[in-house]
Amino acid sequence: MEKPAGTATVNATDALMRVEDLVMHFPITQGILVQRQVGAIKAVDGVSLSVKRGQTLGLVGESGSGKSTIGRCIVRLYKPTSGHIYLDNDDLAVAQGTQLREVRRRVQMIFQDPYASLNPRFTVGGLIAEPMQIHKTGSKAEIRERVEQLLDRVGMNRRFIDRYPHEFSGGQRQRLAIARAIAIEPEFIIADEPVSALDVSIRAQILNLMQRLQDQMGLTYLFVSHDLSVVRHVAPRIAVMYLGKIMEVSDRDEIYSNPLHPYSSALLSAVPIANPRVEKQRKRIILKGDLPSPIHIPPGCRFHTRCPIAQDICRQVEPPLEDKTGSNHLAACHFSDRVGSLTKAGSVQGLGTL
Amino acid sequence: MSTIQSEQSPQAGIGVELTPELLRKRRGQLRIIFDRFIRNKVAVAGLAVLALITLAAIFAPVITHQTATFDPNTATDVYHIASGPIPGHPLGTDYVGRDEVARLLFGARVSLLVGLASMVASIFIGVSVGALAGYYGGWLDNLMMRVTDAFLAIPLYLILFVLAATFTTGSGSASVIGVIVLIAAFSWPATARIVRGEFLGLKEREFLLAARTLGANDFRLMLRHILPNAAGPVIVAATLLVGFNIITESTLSFFNFGVQPPESSWGTMLATSQDYFSEQPLLVLIPGVAILITVLSINLVGDGLRDALDPYMTER
Amino acid sequence: MLEVKDLKVYFRTREGNVHAVDGVSFHVDEGESLGIVGESGSGKSVTSLSIMRLLQIPPAQIMDGSSIVFQDAELVDMEESEMRKIRGRQIAMIFQDPMTSLNPVLTVERQLIEPLQLHLGLSRGEAHNRARELLEAVGIPDAERRLRSYPHQFSGGMRQRVMIAIAIAANPKLLIADEPTTALDVTVQAQILELINRLRRDLGTSVMLITHDLGVVAGMTDRIIVMYAGKIAETASTDELFANPRHPYTLGLLSAVPRLDEERPTELQTIPGSPPDQLHPIEGCPFQPRCPFVLPQCKQYPPARKIAGNHVAYCWVDVTDPEEQKRAMQRGFIPLTEIGRSYLAQS
Repeated sequence: MEKPAGTATVNATDALMRVEDLVMHFPITQGILVQRQVGAIKAVDGVSLSVKRGQTLGLVGESGSGKSTIGRCIVRLYKPTSGHIYLDNDDLAVAQGTQLREVRRRVQMIFQDPYASLNPRFTVGGLIAEPMQIHKTGSKAEIRERVEQLLDRVGMNRRFIDRYPHEFSGGQRQRLAIARAIAIEPEFIIADEPVSALDVSIRAQILNLMQRLQDQMGLTYLFVSHDLSVVRHVAPRIAVMYLGKIMEVSDRDEIYSNPLHPYSSALLSAVPIANPRVEKQRKRIILKGDLPSPIHIPPGCRFHTRCPIAQDICRQVEPPLEDKTGSNHLAACHFSDRVGSLTKAGSVQGLGTL
Repeated sequence: MSTIQSEQSPQAGIGVELTPELLRKRRGQLRIIFDRFIRNKVAVAGLAVLALITLAAIFAPVITHQTATFDPNTATDVYHIASGPIPGHPLGTDYVGRDEVARLLFGARVSLLVGLASMVASIFIGVSVGALAGYYGGWLDNLMMRVTDAFLAIPLYLILFVLAATFTTGSGSASVIGVIVLIAAFSWPATARIVRGEFLGLKEREFLLAARTLGANDFRLMLRHILPNAAGPVIVAATLLVGFNIITESTLSFFNFGVQPPESSWGTMLATSQDYFSEQPLLVLIPGVAILITVLSINLVGDGLRDALDPYMTER
Repeated sequence: MLEVKDLKVYFRTREGNVHAVDGVSFHVDEGESLGIVGESGSGKSVTSLSIMRLLQIPPAQIMDGSSIVFQDAELVDMEESEMRKIRGRQIAMIFQDPMTSLNPVLTVERQLIEPLQLHLGLSRGEAHNRARELLEAVGIPDAERRLRSYPHQFSGGMRQRVMIAIAIAANPKLLIADEPTTALDVTVQAQILELINRLRRDLGTSVMLITHDLGVVAGMTDRIIVMYAGKIAETASTDELFANPRHPYTLGLLSAVPRLDEERPTELQTIPGSPPDQLHPIEGCPFQPRCPFVLPQCKQYPPARKIAGNHVAYCWVDVTDPEEQKRAMQRGFIPLTEIGRSYLAQS
């Protein structure tokens, strides 16, 4: 079988996580007694990604792009419709039973809202101990000892061990969620918008903590976010998603200085920058209209309905995700050579290396 | 066992100071609920009355005749029949000369026992059905909820009367067990619906997804994660069920389908004294008022618990 | 046009008073766009709700001595019937979540026509035409048909446009936008911000933009107030604030978020600690437990430090003093990166 274009990124030797042609369609059913499928929400519609061991891949997209669904497929909150998710050589997409449990030990997730992701009836100690209890990593005393170490590690006071989550602020709760995620020493962590729900002044604390843990534990992150400035800070390699597909994948500096997809370009130009001089000079690419429904995905290039440079071919032929520069900068656009002219006036260029 | 050493990087400690909130003296969750309940004076009054009734029922023999072997059903005072309050019989005697106070207290034993025991059984069934249906959804949910609907569609008292006629024919304590089983078998659907609703809402919550990504199995998710969060409504439902079941038992007994002599409950007291209503209305009023007060107290406590448990665990 | 003086709003709770807004004074001029920046608990939303008189009283209480004067009329003790003529007609507000501020069972037309008939006394036919014009003005295609739609039939961005259409229906003098784009995606946020800017230009409405995002106010406002713990930390014209921030909290906000216009630091500067607890306000400057520049005198509330023109910072410390900076750097303070500095310095 011919390999999808996206697998060009895969370098099997050093990739810890490889997602190949992942499809996640949620069926829409009708009928009360006999349910029949009348359509599908195509949340993820053929995505290939790879993340190198010890690295961070930033996955950027707006709501409805399917970025969170990919994360949830990897931890198998959802069973993918088709495709493969390789962790080393194990295919998580089809893992079951003991194999699935083992996988869940190696892959952990940090959720967006620490107010919602911590069970309010558990104490701090209970929350952090739970993964260790589930995976039976030690005796009661050992686990308790380890919980205290973990609290140290995420910068929380050991004395908080018998408290309840509601007593903590958002930033402190996210620290607890992180302690919980690293408790069983996973290799791969999916961080789904880990700082979006936090106050601005707290975000840096959490980002720094995650970075420090990555250095110390050799963690590999899939960092899912809608915030391009945050992703630029944390991820050396970035993938941009739109309506269930990857539009562009590239190294960080490349994508910010030289986006090759009009959607990435529009996203970048829409980010408000805390600098009035930049703001007054820049010209934004304002996208027309709304995100199309993931049930009826436009034919051809799925971005053509909102694209400022769409041509006839874009309505008919879906552009493949392919390397445009020879330096592993992939884009799915028929006219990626014209994207530069779009951004010249508008983007944040002219600020030196970004 | 661990490759991670506890590290104290210079910045690790900066992150979290003791905010004033955390310095304050801490109360446990139960304590918070208790404090909130205590503030509701009506509910506390209800609880006090209930406690009094329960204690009186437990110590009924001691209170009435200072002996543990006293049997109110056989001890009759033939000189005073349907007497009304007189010295020695503060609430009077019934139509065969049995002391009303003693009958009331011993009746309370049966009524409360039936109310509580059938509640426990009914909650167990209701929680199990609701939890499985809500958690697994799909055809199982469909099936279980249709069964629940069917139970709810049955005219309760008609079926109880029909079944009681065959089930509770045994006399005395055998009939009590029969009544308990019967009531439990038909009072669980409401609880099942409540629990299913809670489970449906809670199973998509993020903390549940989080637990699932840790590898927690279904049993753990249901028992350790969802159920404690659904405890509030279940406790309230349980409380209200006790009251409801006491009334159901009384109704059954009133129509002679319930507790059979020589065992007696408040319902049988009502039933057996209705013929004497014109001569001695007290005989009807006493068990009637007892039922009223008890059920009212239970419902007040239930409302108090609802309020105490309901607002998310904020310290107030 | 709007003058707020010493506004104090406390919330009474069982455990004591929450000092949500604690002595805030500012003004909004005709045609001006004012940004109020702050995090959760800074009191920025309570301030705007006080102006609209939309606070639930109790538990909220506007303390004695507070004054909100709008076009020579005192709003704090105004009769509710009088206030209704101002609300929507003179001062309009848009909220973060358009879904909760639109009535789900009424068509958009009904909700648009109401203020038109109420405030402008238009007939039904006139109001209908005006409603269509308004939807067109906020960039909703196929307006005639969309008038008959219900709120849930719109996307998030479109709903916010409808909210804006309702807000500007009666040509208000002042538009208060409370986190209008926080719930929206960046590309949609860009659309909405542009719309607000265009309407301001076309209608000459004053705008009060409340947000936690310094990026949003940078391109949208003439003047900015930075709030912390119910108090004003710093206020200046927009250009001045970004070029010459003088309050440690403003400095922290500017450098604690990753920015696209600066070189990527290896580690972000953090503002340590947690947001303030308004139930137990601390003596003196509320930022002191988190401040790298903290001095003993911070135990007393700092006087206004006039920097230049209308630039005022409430801080004891001159953060541009190299000695103070050196001291702060020992506590983890990182000055803005060179490239950002030099860019900001260019004019």
